[in-house]
Amino acid sequence: MTRPANRTMFLPLVALLALVLWLNGCVLDQKGMVLMIDTSYHPTMLDSTHNGFTQPDGLLWRQGKLLLADEGGSAVRVWSDAHHVRTLCDSKLGILEPEDLVADGEGNVFFTDDAAGGLWEIDRNGRSFQLAGKDKGLISTEGIVLAPSGDILVGDGEQHQVYRVSRSGNVSVFLGTRYGINKAESMVFDDRGNLYIADNHDQVVYLLTPQMKLQRVLENRTGFSPETIWYADHTLYITDSKNGKLSRYTPENGLQNIAVFGGKLSYVCGITTDDHSNIYVSIQSSFDPKIGYLIKLEHTPAS
Amino acid sequence: MPNTPVIFALWSHLLERLVAVSNSIYEVCNRLAGRSELFDNLIALALDNTLVKAALLGGCFIAVWHGHQERSVVERNRRILVITLMASALVIATTKTLSTSIFLPRPFIESQTVFHMDGNRLVETPPLPYRVPLDAQSQKEYQRLQKGEVSQRDLGSFPSDHAGFYMTLAVGILLASRPLGWLALGWTSVVVLGSRIVTGQHSPLDIVAGSVIGIAILLALQLVFEKWFRPLMEPAIAWTFRHQAIATMLVFTAVFEAANTLQDLSPLIKITTAIAEHFLGGQR
Repeated sequence: MTRPANRTMFLPLVALLALVLWLNGCVLDQKGMVLMIDTSYHPTMLDSTHNGFTQPDGLLWRQGKLLLADEGGSAVRVWSDAHHVRTLCDSKLGILEPEDLVADGEGNVFFTDDAAGGLWEIDRNGRSFQLAGKDKGLISTEGIVLAPSGDILVGDGEQHQVYRVSRSGNVSVFLGTRYGINKAESMVFDDRGNLYIADNHDQVVYLLTPQMKLQRVLENRTGFSPETIWYADHTLYITDSKNGKLSRYTPENGLQNIAVFGGKLSYVCGITTDDHSNIYVSIQSSFDPKIGYLIKLEHTPAS
Repeated sequence: MPNTPVIFALWSHLLERLVAVSNSIYEVCNRLAGRSELFDNLIALALDNTLVKAALLGGCFIAVWHGHQERSVVERNRRILVITLMASALVIATTKTLSTSIFLPRPFIESQTVFHMDGNRLVETPPLPYRVPLDAQSQKEYQRLQKGEVSQRDLGSFPSDHAGFYMTLAVGILLASRPLGWLALGWTSVVVLGSRIVTGQHSPLDIVAGSVIGIAILLALQLVFEKWFRPLMEPAIAWTFRHQAIATMLVFTAVFEAANTLQDLSPLIKITTAIAEHFLGGQR
């Protein structure tokens, strides 16, 4: 006669077990991690969403401050420290998802927007405007780089081309579809005038020589998808949001991982460096609600 | 009404102790690795070789499916085994969902320089000691780890899906037949799951959690089906007697895939979906 009673007891016990497992999950969950492969870097979380930005993508270190293309927050902001974040322009201007940014020597900032399209400028006086829009073919703008000539090169993910935009807003094709670049997500010049182009659709990093010869320097690699590239100290730095990696590339040493990001920190997007070779990366964590992080990898070279 | 944060804090404290105990057991077990190539290669077989990992369990399952003279006993056994197979699918869904939502890297990853999130800070985790097994695969994987070539599936180790899955099968067999059940349970505990602790794939806590989930779901389903769905089960079981050969074929296929933790099912579903999309897309 005791058997039915035991059976009745069983379901509440299963419910209790589920609660215990849930509690265990809450406590054991490490949420996110940074696995350091190159231990000459030390990671620190600089800031997170609640301090005036939402979900940064493109980053640029400039005069002790970080310029953020706050993709999730539809704004471009300047981050000075955890308590000082200033908005340079936002959705009132018509921007939707700022993607990447560059600045010239005079303090003018240019940025792309993959949702609103176009090339946008915030001049040194703080005036923001669209330099060239969708009407000129800039439909979904991604990578951006300042050419030695002073023009701005802009990659377009829908047109599969790289455009040259003059300071007066004239647009011409720099690399047409015949070059086969599917999505120029990020671009950067090295110190020899070569242009690196990251295509995160085809998972390729291209190198375009000053003689306009296009080479594939990184391709067909398992677990490799270049999101943003940055060049400093004779090294190409690469973030990989799909695989949660930060890597470096030199022709001599090939591709080497610096750190692996996991959990809530795995979607590593933008990258920049400061004058002391410290690396800054932006992380887009949860998309609902939108949460982002800024992480600094402080360089402590071995003595 | 009890204060929820207090309960949570107490539970956290208790669990921290539990994690410490689990880590100590892991360290003791992992000390066995990296000393003998023979031992490590045997352990590696239990990790990757489906024959070593699953054949005994599958054999026990089929033996229980057929092995008794009395029809009433065989009917009962088949009922238990069919429910076990259903439970195993539910278990894998549960453990996979939990391991993707709970971020806890495998112990061998925690042996590296790792910083984890603590609120809005990154805190360095004290590295777990790790002796690398001497078999070729483990050595290769460790070299890959040191280069940062980490698979995302190595970042969610809690709970162990192998523990959940194999425990479900073994306990299911045990419910139907004591001798074969103990054999299956012993093999699962020592060979299949023990090897995962020795090689740093899982901590004992991952294994215990996976096992508890597996056993709980299995027992709950056995109870629910016996109590409410027996009239539905009986025609199905009767069908297996009328069509012994087809039933055996189906059970073999299900056990084969179940013993392989449904790993081959995912690519099969993907390619089937791709083919369906291709033809449907072509029709549009």
